[in-house]
Amino acid sequence: MSKLCLFFSIVFFLLTTSPSFSENQNTQNHDKSDHNFLESSKRGERLFKGLVLTKTKLKACVSCHNISFSDTLNWNPSAWDIAHSFSSKEISDFNSILNAPIAKVMSKVHAGYAYNDEELKHIKNYLVKLKEYGTQEQKPVVNNLILFLFLGLLITLALIDLFFTKKIKYKFITILIFFLALGYQIKMLSEDAMALGRNENYAPDQPIKFSHKVHATDNKIDCRYCHTGVDNSKSAVIPSANVCLNCHSIVREGRNSGKFEINKIHAAIENNKPIEWIRVHKLPDHVFFSHAQHVNVGKRECQECHGEVEKMHIVKQVEDLSMGWCLDCHDKTAVDFNTNNYYSNTFKKLHLKIVKEQIDSVRVKDIGGRECARCHY
Amino acid sequence: MKKYWKSQHEKNESSEAKITKHTPKGNLEQVLDIFEDGTAEAKSNRRDFLKLCGYSLAITTVLSSCENTVQKAIPYLNKPEEITPGIANYYASTYMNASDYASILIKTREGRPIKIEGNNLSPISNGACSARVQASVLSLYDNSRYQSPQIEKEKVSWDKFDDSILKALDSQKENKIALLTPTIFSPSTRKAIKYFTDAYPNIKWIQYDTQSASAILQAQKLCFGKDGLPDYRFNKANLIVSFDADFLGTWLNPSEYIKTYTDTRKLSGSLNKMSRHIQFESRMSLTGSNADERHAIKPSELNLLIAQLYNEIVILKGQQKHDVPEATKIIKELAKDLLEQKSHSVVVSGSQELNAQILINAINYELENFNSSINLENPLLNHQAIDEDMDQLIDNLASGQVKGLICYHTNPVYSHPKGEKIKKAIESLSFSLSIHETPNETSSLMKYIAPDNHYLESWNDAEIKKDSYSLMQPAIHPLFDTRQFQASLLKWSGQDVDYHKFIMKHWEETLFPSQTLYTNFKSYWEHTLQEGIFQTKTVSGNKLKFAELDIIKILEAITQKKKTNRIELQIYEKVTIGDGSMANNPWLQEMPDPISKICWDNYLNISPKQAKELGLETGNMIKLNGDLELPVYILPGQAYNTVSIAMGYGRTICGKVGKDVGFKASHLNTNQHSSVTLEKIEGHFDFAMTQTHHSMEGRAIVREANLDEYQKNPKAGNDHKHEYKNAGIYKEPEFPNHHWGLAIDLNACVGCGACTIACQAENNVPIVGKKEVIRAHEMSWIRIDRYFSGDENEPGVVFQPVMCQHCDNAPCENVCPVAATNHSSEGLNQMIYNRCIGTRYCGNNCPYKVRRFNWFDYTQADSIPNNLHDPTGMTLDLSRMVLNPDVTIRAKGVIEKCSMCVQRIQEGKLNAKLEGRKVKDGDIKTACQQTCPSGAILFGDLNDKGSDLFKLASSDRNYHLLEEIHTLPSVSYLTKIRNKKS
Repeated sequence: MSKLCLFFSIVFFLLTTSPSFSENQNTQNHDKSDHNFLESSKRGERLFKGLVLTKTKLKACVSCHNISFSDTLNWNPSAWDIAHSFSSKEISDFNSILNAPIAKVMSKVHAGYAYNDEELKHIKNYLVKLKEYGTQEQKPVVNNLILFLFLGLLITLALIDLFFTKKIKYKFITILIFFLALGYQIKMLSEDAMALGRNENYAPDQPIKFSHKVHATDNKIDCRYCHTGVDNSKSAVIPSANVCLNCHSIVREGRNSGKFEINKIHAAIENNKPIEWIRVHKLPDHVFFSHAQHVNVGKRECQECHGEVEKMHIVKQVEDLSMGWCLDCHDKTAVDFNTNNYYSNTFKKLHLKIVKEQIDSVRVKDIGGRECARCHY
Repeated sequence: MKKYWKSQHEKNESSEAKITKHTPKGNLEQVLDIFEDGTAEAKSNRRDFLKLCGYSLAITTVLSSCENTVQKAIPYLNKPEEITPGIANYYASTYMNASDYASILIKTREGRPIKIEGNNLSPISNGACSARVQASVLSLYDNSRYQSPQIEKEKVSWDKFDDSILKALDSQKENKIALLTPTIFSPSTRKAIKYFTDAYPNIKWIQYDTQSASAILQAQKLCFGKDGLPDYRFNKANLIVSFDADFLGTWLNPSEYIKTYTDTRKLSGSLNKMSRHIQFESRMSLTGSNADERHAIKPSELNLLIAQLYNEIVILKGQQKHDVPEATKIIKELAKDLLEQKSHSVVVSGSQELNAQILINAINYELENFNSSINLENPLLNHQAIDEDMDQLIDNLASGQVKGLICYHTNPVYSHPKGEKIKKAIESLSFSLSIHETPNETSSLMKYIAPDNHYLESWNDAEIKKDSYSLMQPAIHPLFDTRQFQASLLKWSGQDVDYHKFIMKHWEETLFPSQTLYTNFKSYWEHTLQEGIFQTKTVSGNKLKFAELDIIKILEAITQKKKTNRIELQIYEKVTIGDGSMANNPWLQEMPDPISKICWDNYLNISPKQAKELGLETGNMIKLNGDLELPVYILPGQAYNTVSIAMGYGRTICGKVGKDVGFKASHLNTNQHSSVTLEKIEGHFDFAMTQTHHSMEGRAIVREANLDEYQKNPKAGNDHKHEYKNAGIYKEPEFPNHHWGLAIDLNACVGCGACTIACQAENNVPIVGKKEVIRAHEMSWIRIDRYFSGDENEPGVVFQPVMCQHCDNAPCENVCPVAATNHSSEGLNQMIYNRCIGTRYCGNNCPYKVRRFNWFDYTQADSIPNNLHDPTGMTLDLSRMVLNPDVTIRAKGVIEKCSMCVQRIQEGKLNAKLEGRKVKDGDIKTACQQTCPSGAILFGDLNDKGSDLFKLASSDRNYHLLEEIHTLPSVSYLTKIRNKKS
């Protein structure tokens, strides 16, 4: 009985803490708010999504301005982004920006759009709503959690049948079901536990659609131009907005994104509000990692850990940054005994061996690169 | 099951909130509470147990599927040129508060001051910092600080505040107002005060020091016609005699004195001479505990002894003998010895009586010490207050002659013996203004409160000794809506200048012309600001002449006082808390007193003999003078028929940490040898004592010898060497590159404890609170053991700093089931917190007891909320700004210990690698070494045969703790040598 109790308590716990539940309550709450506004915003939503016919018969807004998170690059600002920039503007401004933009990129893609004032008002109301409540949650997909709960249910049923109802004649079937379900659950747990805190393939949307490909490959800007700390400090340094302005005080319009993204830098400076990037590569707090040691002393290339960032529009974490991954590299990599006098003067015995050609190289692990307090203190 | 943010909206709004908000108290908390109180009041039954099981299983499930929180990386909008994230910046500045003066470097990371280091360029503080200077950085992040100006407890803007003040000052033009400050030895501040008092001639400026040096000041004036305090040079003295002056602890300028005192007591290489120190005192002070000879006396006997010494010297010099009672053998011999060391001795006294100080001057004059071991050309300026001024003010306040009071950085209601009288007077004042950082007993009575900046947010200058200047510069923008005192004064006196510019102008006018190195002021200023200090040349004065004083009358006055058998009370300052102005600093509160090893309290010190008579034990309660109930501590070395108690405790209005800690004693301080009555009462008091076992159990933990033995045989006292070859069952490790180690000179260590606070600041060592210290859960990585030897009424004292010994055959490493502690190829005993599962086997197996266990979540590093145990608010966002970002904060359930500042070692190595060179000897300094005023701790590479450490490690005085158990420590000690007369 007590085991059953436990499982019910887990199920109950998971249900009450499930985030999707509380989200639903939220949406119900704001349904009760201002009726007219809502109707207008509902109409706006239809217009935005292209569900109602308009005179222009051009592509609907949503086909360029996505309303939910997407992991592929869309140079156009998202609906949420637009909502933030334009919701406070007057309808007339909104009109001129939407129907008759001046900027190069926008005037090309917005050519032919002619919404009337009422339609614009509806769209604007929709955007205001979007800004206030966030984008609509996508339909829940069958994810691991549901599978986990289903397996839990199977186990419970199997146990009930095994001890009480005894509907299935052959006991081995129930026992098999029990063990398979439990085994799969354990597998799921252990896999998740191992992945805990690791973010391989993490590629979040950034507040500004900054493309390393455009900057590092197309425009051939050196990594160190922006990441100034990489040679001397433990952190590579995310450039401050004034570094962006070195170029972008002149380059005001991008080839792909137009003015919209670059304007965000200027807005940040004007409003005295720093840009809040989403951190992609992060190590746990108990790890000390120094870029200076690896890049300047160890002569590692940025790409060895970060992947070919210069080819990425959206930065993605390509390695899992696990300790095993670190140590693999420490095991293989040779230490620079030839040019750095620290090593040759400090590790005299090893240096002698190299000079006498008894060994061809010294690996990081040979000079204590696997020791705990090199990174953990 | 990985989940990132669902929408931009959630990403921006709730991700942060989720991290900081906690769920309400759950069952886990209840279970912890049971442990906490030691009583099982909250009944737990089978249902609770099942619930807990269910929860813990659910938590593991949830944890294993928990979301990876979205972290933001927010760069500067406009990055200041000098800041590189990840690299510390250092700014030279000055700390000055009461007897603490230090020229310092403020270590800042990403714009936050996180640590104070000593400035090696200063000839006065010499790169040293006392414990209080080290702890001062935490006071910056004190949550209880005033956050905006107040009028009658109403928060107002500065504009409104200034208007009201100006109106009030105008309306008070006819009334006398007093401006009460501590001693101001900043030339620019003095100038600002002058502007202020010129603008308001009805305001009179009075200085008041909680630890008064009034008698010495007056004696200097009378004897030599000079202002300021003598500049004692203990490093030029072969014989030091102190009559109740705690010059290594709290007297005048202790950081400097520790340095100069130990300079002549470090025996290394060819030097086999050291100074001799004789102390006469009633309480076992830090200074007395370091003395070669110590004589316990009653405070009332002090003056007579000084008179007798003077008389004996005069007799020996063949002059007219005075009518003074026959001196004891001790004094007679002392007089002889002093004359032998003519012009190479120092006689000091902490007496508050003018007559005694005149005699001390006369003695030093007869011994020709002036202008050799005592310098009067560069007087010390950090105490200038004259007691009579303050007494006069109190009378005037009480009588209503003075109708207004401005208090800057003083708290006389608490600290002055006549505090109650001042309190009453303030209540009837027509104008009262307090300029202070934190609420206190005085400011809470005041109408206007103009919050002052913390010194790390302020500009200032200082002239600690004549011709020795230093600058104070801000390292952070004021955290709150505060304004520094001097800026306020300038504003109110109608001067429309920035105080920074004001100082620059003053320096340009007065100091810039006195040098020839720089031709333009800007480069001079920038250079001086960078170095933090500036010296001008001293112009030698006329030959010293002792004024013709009626010595006979003085001697008469002293000898006429009758001896009594009453119990005498002495009020003293603790090395930790001082006068109580830093009572809200948890680092200082949890720092054990060097002698008693008690933290979080003060107590009545009583002599062992008297305790026996009264049937008292440490922790018993006593009634003092029939009203004040106090706990008793039996202090070996306390003179019979005397008791003593520390001031600085029993604060009633201050932040959460210092409020109602200990007992108020300042009102007992009447400066006369007040006699008291003691009466044992019922009750027991629990002391938070960090050392309860005082015996070495017959092992040679501290090794000592006398100087004459050492001169004959440098191995004296260090002859029980235990060295084994291949004794362990494990292979002895090899160290191919570095072998880091420490050497601690027990002869130099005076036990001041500055290293413990430096370590705490550097390594994010948590505070656990009194209750936890009582349960021996304190976390300090370095402790100073204190051992008494000999007769308990006249004991010898030794101090021994003990940190992880980084054994090469470490007992802790063998027993860890998960290899969370192991040895590095550089000789470090590594501790890996994230691997530790908390079996505490290592702690149990450590013979040095240096491993500390996190019984609770002291730092909020735990992933499960509600495990937090934070009695002092150290986990508030504000307090956490002091954390060193290079050192992990430890979670509940892991062991921690001294890492030999591995973060500094790694930094030093990285710098060497970046420059492609070897690590130079002295490149790397541990936090404890950096701050040590006496240079007792030395870090270095034992593999480097040319290093200073190697020299000490191979010296004859070198030994290891518990050599006999073959742990092969990397930390070694040098024997203590005393200079007792044989």
